[in-house]
Amino acid sequence: MKKVVTGNYAVSWGARLARAQVIAAYPITPQTSIIEKLATFCADGEMEARFIKVESEHSAMAACIGASAAGARAFTATSGQGLLLMHEVVHWAAGARLPIVMGVVNRAIGPGWNIWTDQNDTLSQRDTGWLQFYCETNQEVLDTTIQAVKIAETVFLPAMVVLDAFLLSHTSEPVDIPDQAEVDAFLPPYRPELKLDLDDPRAFGALVLPSDYMEMRYKIQKAMERAVGVAEAVDHEWGERFGRSWGLVERYRLDDAEIALVTSGTVTGTSRVVVDELRDKGLKIGLLKVRMFRPFPHEKVRQALAGIEKVAVIDRNISFGDSGVFAQEVRAALYRADKRPPVFDFVTGLGGRDIVPATIREIVDYTVAHDAPVEEFTWIGVKK
Amino acid sequence: MKKQTEARVITFTSEAEMPMMPASMASTLYNKTGSWRYMRPLYVNKTPPCNAACPAGEDIVMYLQLTAQGRYAEAWETIVRENPFPGVCGRVCPHPCESECNREHLGGAIAIHCQERFLADYAAAHDLGLPMPDVPQRGEHVAVVGAGPAGLSCAYHLRRMGYQVTVFDAGDKPGGMMRLIPEYRLPKEVLEREIAAIVATGVEVKTGVRLGVDVSLDDLKDYAAVFLAVGQSRSRRLGVPGEEATGVLPGIDFLARVARGQRVGLGEKVAVIGGGNTAMDAARTARRLGADVTIFYRRSRAEMPAIDEEVNEALDEGVRIEFLRAPVAVLTENGHVRGLRLTEMELGAPDESGRRRPLPVAGSEYEVACDTVIPALGQVADLSFLDAEVKSERGRIITDEKAATTRPPIFAGGDVATGFGTVTAAVGSGKRAALAIDCFLRGVERTFPDLAQNVQAAPRPHDAAVVRFEDLNTAYFEEEPRPRQEQRPAAERVTTFEEVNLGYGEDAALAEAQRCFSCGTCNECDNCLIFCPDVAVLRGPSDDEPFVFNYDYCKGCGICVSECPRHAISFEEEVKFAET
Repeated sequence: MKKVVTGNYAVSWGARLARAQVIAAYPITPQTSIIEKLATFCADGEMEARFIKVESEHSAMAACIGASAAGARAFTATSGQGLLLMHEVVHWAAGARLPIVMGVVNRAIGPGWNIWTDQNDTLSQRDTGWLQFYCETNQEVLDTTIQAVKIAETVFLPAMVVLDAFLLSHTSEPVDIPDQAEVDAFLPPYRPELKLDLDDPRAFGALVLPSDYMEMRYKIQKAMERAVGVAEAVDHEWGERFGRSWGLVERYRLDDAEIALVTSGTVTGTSRVVVDELRDKGLKIGLLKVRMFRPFPHEKVRQALAGIEKVAVIDRNISFGDSGVFAQEVRAALYRADKRPPVFDFVTGLGGRDIVPATIREIVDYTVAHDAPVEEFTWIGVKK
Repeated sequence: MKKQTEARVITFTSEAEMPMMPASMASTLYNKTGSWRYMRPLYVNKTPPCNAACPAGEDIVMYLQLTAQGRYAEAWETIVRENPFPGVCGRVCPHPCESECNREHLGGAIAIHCQERFLADYAAAHDLGLPMPDVPQRGEHVAVVGAGPAGLSCAYHLRRMGYQVTVFDAGDKPGGMMRLIPEYRLPKEVLEREIAAIVATGVEVKTGVRLGVDVSLDDLKDYAAVFLAVGQSRSRRLGVPGEEATGVLPGIDFLARVARGQRVGLGEKVAVIGGGNTAMDAARTARRLGADVTIFYRRSRAEMPAIDEEVNEALDEGVRIEFLRAPVAVLTENGHVRGLRLTEMELGAPDESGRRRPLPVAGSEYEVACDTVIPALGQVADLSFLDAEVKSERGRIITDEKAATTRPPIFAGGDVATGFGTVTAAVGSGKRAALAIDCFLRGVERTFPDLAQNVQAAPRPHDAAVVRFEDLNTAYFEEEPRPRQEQRPAAERVTTFEEVNLGYGEDAALAEAQRCFSCGTCNECDNCLIFCPDVAVLRGPSDDEPFVFNYDYCKGCGICVSECPRHAISFEEEVKFAET
């Protein structure tokens, strides 16, 4: 069934089709309509889920942790400051190996107070042990939400499905909403390895001594490493069932490319247009979209960029005192490559400033004009 | 089970042996965290303010709970375990319960009287009879004098305890002062039904027997006990010249004649003297008979003893009220009333009733014309039947808190002893006497609260502490308005004796019962069960004990106490329970 829905409603439909059993959430712009829609689904009896109203994002995640520990499929959604308030228990969910799925609408961090899109909120959660997927379209948002549940429950790690504020969250697109029966066939009920059981009570989250703590971390990392293959298999299965798959990364016109743009989120769509336009003018340019950011698909990135002469990463975020975060990851991945192309990093579009084709052309022009970066990264569009 | 209670230490030698999540590999049941507790939660129902304020000792909160569940017959039975007159009280009681209701702070007090009336009407519509407990019949025979609300309540409660009861009444029908309540407030069929239901429990009623005339106290000495509930049947006199003129008609006499269906000629203009409910009843009845009615009251509106709604309804019906006016003389012509001489009054220092004493304003006298004067200054008891051994004081028979007079086994209650002046208080007084007579006849010692407090015949276990609004967890309650009761329009009312208040239908009654906070009284909302972080709240063995604490694991965190919306969980220091 095709419906015209916003990115936020695509998240809601994903959670509904994934048969989330407990939803605990707190409103925050631009996420709110995700949980409003879910609350409506619950109230109308269209979802068999318990909707828990809480007083903060910290409590929202805490409630999801409790629900997930009790064996329920738990879902929440947040954005920006809400995610930051949640931070302590974001770590907890991963440490407790609870496969909670969370929709996160990328929103800039204040001050200056700003509700528009910017990746610093989710990227600040990079090291929490959560899987992270960055989406380009509303269809991808819906598909990824359902896929994330399956991947998370296979490796017992929580997952964030990330979408840009307004550019996806509040923009409507035609979205194919799969049949419930088909989703059920794809996604079996959650089967926890260990859950809260009143008849056989255990202590959860208790003290772990130095003699054992490192092994717990080792297991999380092993699960992350395993998640690369699991995510690929799940996406493949999805493609077979529903005729669409997204890849952990996507290569676009890269085969004979000399310059590669590296993008994430909605910048990808704009970049495709510019790549096509420049290809028509004879420039050998392609694009690598990074969809899965954690675990970072190092091998896939290395393979995709092998033989590329120059790499230009577009970062809608900044790690103060260093550079854009995606560029850090790409450089790190390429360090183990036989041939390491120069990596140009462009920080732009912060706080929701539009990234338009002209912005991307400027990035490409800079990359063409320089043999190698002359600075750690380059600001694009700053009023100097 | 024994195995599970033993602690086990597991040493891991490789990550493969370790669980994925930091959770203990063995059961933690051995760890009885209840030993950490220094505060103990306890399920203790408290007293809701409505229950505390009900003169008849009704378990209001419980019948609201049952109503909220649609269990109307059980709700009605809950009332009639305490008060056999819900149809009457639901209509005429000044509902002190509502004045104390904690809901007042969040949308308005629960319309308890409408609930009571709804349940009584439900019982009537479904022809429910008063259920009698299965108790052994007792040989003792008790005489009750006066078939008003106190006497009939006493007789009913004695019957419930298995006693034989004969009620004597001077009137030609049982009911006492309830018979004088005008039809527009209390339809006669409502009264008749509830009296008939009491008689049907096996109470013998002998009417037309006046104590002191047809029978004396000594004649009753063969009864195991006697309960005197003769009420206050004499009108207070105006005490002004001209009072003997024709056209001066005491309020209760007027109401009695109308109640009996007699024609009463009032003329065009009627002056009613007084500010109580009898004055309102007389004024509104006179309006319905076509008269132009003015009430003269010697104090101001704030001091009026009449129920506020009654005053407003009288005003709506076109009754005028002149405050700070007192009659000085009834003006007559040929032995008939032609008017009143009145004086203006002003309020001085408070008197023994706490109200400011009205004092005449010198030189303020004036006259008004009227055809009928209805004094309604309250009633006094006719105590001419008393002997020297039954002591009285200021017109009332002296009783202790067990309703006993100075001459056992004679007991007394209702207005003749208390002077409380409402049906509901009389019902409570009669019940108190019944319980006290039972104790007396069985030789059982029991303490009774003082006369200002109510007594319950079928009390649930509860703590005497009355729940205040501050005791509730109001996070669980939203402001919801009290629904309005439908009323007949005032213009229509003055043409008919049809009932003014039209009560609540089932939907409104159900919704209103669900608005009740259930102060201090568990209604199994499950909050404690849901919130307990230690799974130390368990479902209990019966409806009487819906939840129990598993003190082996309750750490005494108090979350159940604070999340109980209605203050039905107490929190006590553990040291109080230590074995000494």
